[in-house]
Amino acid sequence: MAQEVDPIVRIRELKKDQVNFVLENVDLAFANSFRRVMMADIPTVAVDMVEVQTNTTVLPDEFIAHRLGMIPLVSHNCDQGMRYTRLSVMVEEGVTMDVTSAHLDVSGPHRGQEQHWNEEAEGNEEMAKRGSNFGHPVGKDDPNVPPVLICKIRKGQELKVRCIAKKGIAKEHAKWSPCSAVAFEYDPHNKMRHTTYWYETDARAEWPLSDNALEEEPPRDDQPFDYNARPNRFYLNVETDGSLGPQEVVMKGLQELQQKLASLLLGLKAEPELDLLPGGEAPLPPANGAGGAPGMAPASVWNAGGGSWNTSPTAGGAMWGTTPNPGGNWGSTTPAAAGAGGGWSTTPAAAGGGWADTGAGGGWQSPGRGPNPGWSSPSQNVNGWAA
Amino acid sequence: MNAPARYELFVLDEGERPVEVIEDTKIPNAATIKVMKQDHTLGNLIRAQLLSMPQVLFAGYKVPHPLQPHFLIKIQTDGTATPTEILEQACNKLIQMMVSLEAKFKREFSFKDVDGAVAEDPYGTVTAGGATWTDGRDYLDF
Repeated sequence: MAQEVDPIVRIRELKKDQVNFVLENVDLAFANSFRRVMMADIPTVAVDMVEVQTNTTVLPDEFIAHRLGMIPLVSHNCDQGMRYTRLSVMVEEGVTMDVTSAHLDVSGPHRGQEQHWNEEAEGNEEMAKRGSNFGHPVGKDDPNVPPVLICKIRKGQELKVRCIAKKGIAKEHAKWSPCSAVAFEYDPHNKMRHTTYWYETDARAEWPLSDNALEEEPPRDDQPFDYNARPNRFYLNVETDGSLGPQEVVMKGLQELQQKLASLLLGLKAEPELDLLPGGEAPLPPANGAGGAPGMAPASVWNAGGGSWNTSPTAGGAMWGTTPNPGGNWGSTTPAAAGAGGGWSTTPAAAGGGWADTGAGGGWQSPGRGPNPGWSSPSQNVNGWAA
Repeated sequence: MNAPARYELFVLDEGERPVEVIEDTKIPNAATIKVMKQDHTLGNLIRAQLLSMPQVLFAGYKVPHPLQPHFLIKIQTDGTATPTEILEQACNKLIQMMVSLEAKFKREFSFKDVDGAVAEDPYGTVTAGGATWTDGRDYLDF
């Protein structure tokens, strides 16, 4: 890569749900990592558990649970709004006609409402970072966006479910991906011959060029093949499903990549220190210890050897737990609630069983009390997100 | 069902170290570094950065098995720095590059803001989302 030249970005088009940009002077590995991270590593919120109370429709419980999971929910800021796998609850009910995502009612803690779910101050702080429509299906209350059809029911049929949305990333399940499509292209004229076209007589006549080809000089016929050429210019189009805006996806993607690198660096640095610890227990003490005050000044662990940048010590990266102990919190206790439908599972992890209907907040952990209290948000101070 | 839980792809186990350095005993200035709970996204990125650095004689990565959530990166240097140091340098360089790229993205997006392209965006991107935060409290105010 050898960044003799700085990378260049040019946004060609920015719309409500997609952004089209050209990335120059970066190498293929970076562009591809960026693409991968935007698709698979950005947290969003999606329905993850479904408790079926009544279902006399023609669709089986699992079918409906799966459909509910696919509905994109507004998840702006959810890496801070939900520092931990946290839930918002919805009740959905219908007796006639089409049941759509518009019938989903979001309940549970929201700003301005009574917050009976988490008494801790930290919890309230999280709430403050959530938008007013956090967790609502995308396009709810917007007449221009048709709701997502979940099920059609006829006279006498009934459907009543309770869903729990969780924060997760698309590596765990594709429903958590904020992107519906990411287009990625380089070298539209295939000058580098990274692809081989099948053809009858003439590849150039038979294969159409993409629009991106207008941006680059077509190769002359007498031009010899430059086997040293490296891809340098990348055309990306990031289209989101509405759970996050395109700008948020791009920026979060870059932050996520930095965080991955930072956690690697932290692991490399922490290693010798750990060896000195008796028994080598409590790995990454700095990460856990410092994270108590989320978003506050990064602890000094880092600055020791880092460069000009600082990232909050959280970098433990992988430490933010999505479902750190699946089943543990949910399963067990009373099988009462399981009776109604039994099949409320979108992820295999949850399939365990009877989720005790312990009322609001009983069963699960509040943030901060979880196994990873040291989670703090990726630092905004890295590069001035703060206006 | 004995499929491993999907979250094991990216959540470190209890007490698991994120990085493990295995020094090579036969080749000078070489080491294999095992990075847990990461995949091609990080592996290929680092490999490419290492290859661009003149002190590196060899850099390669592999994901030994698609069901095991880790990758190995093998580095040999010319002796001016240890493989671990080189890896740190590579990461720092990459982060610096991303920081500058992030600033450029922010700038570009702000231009588009002015164009009014975002005005029609009901799901305000964070910077434009003033409407969502009614209390006059920015999400950055702690």
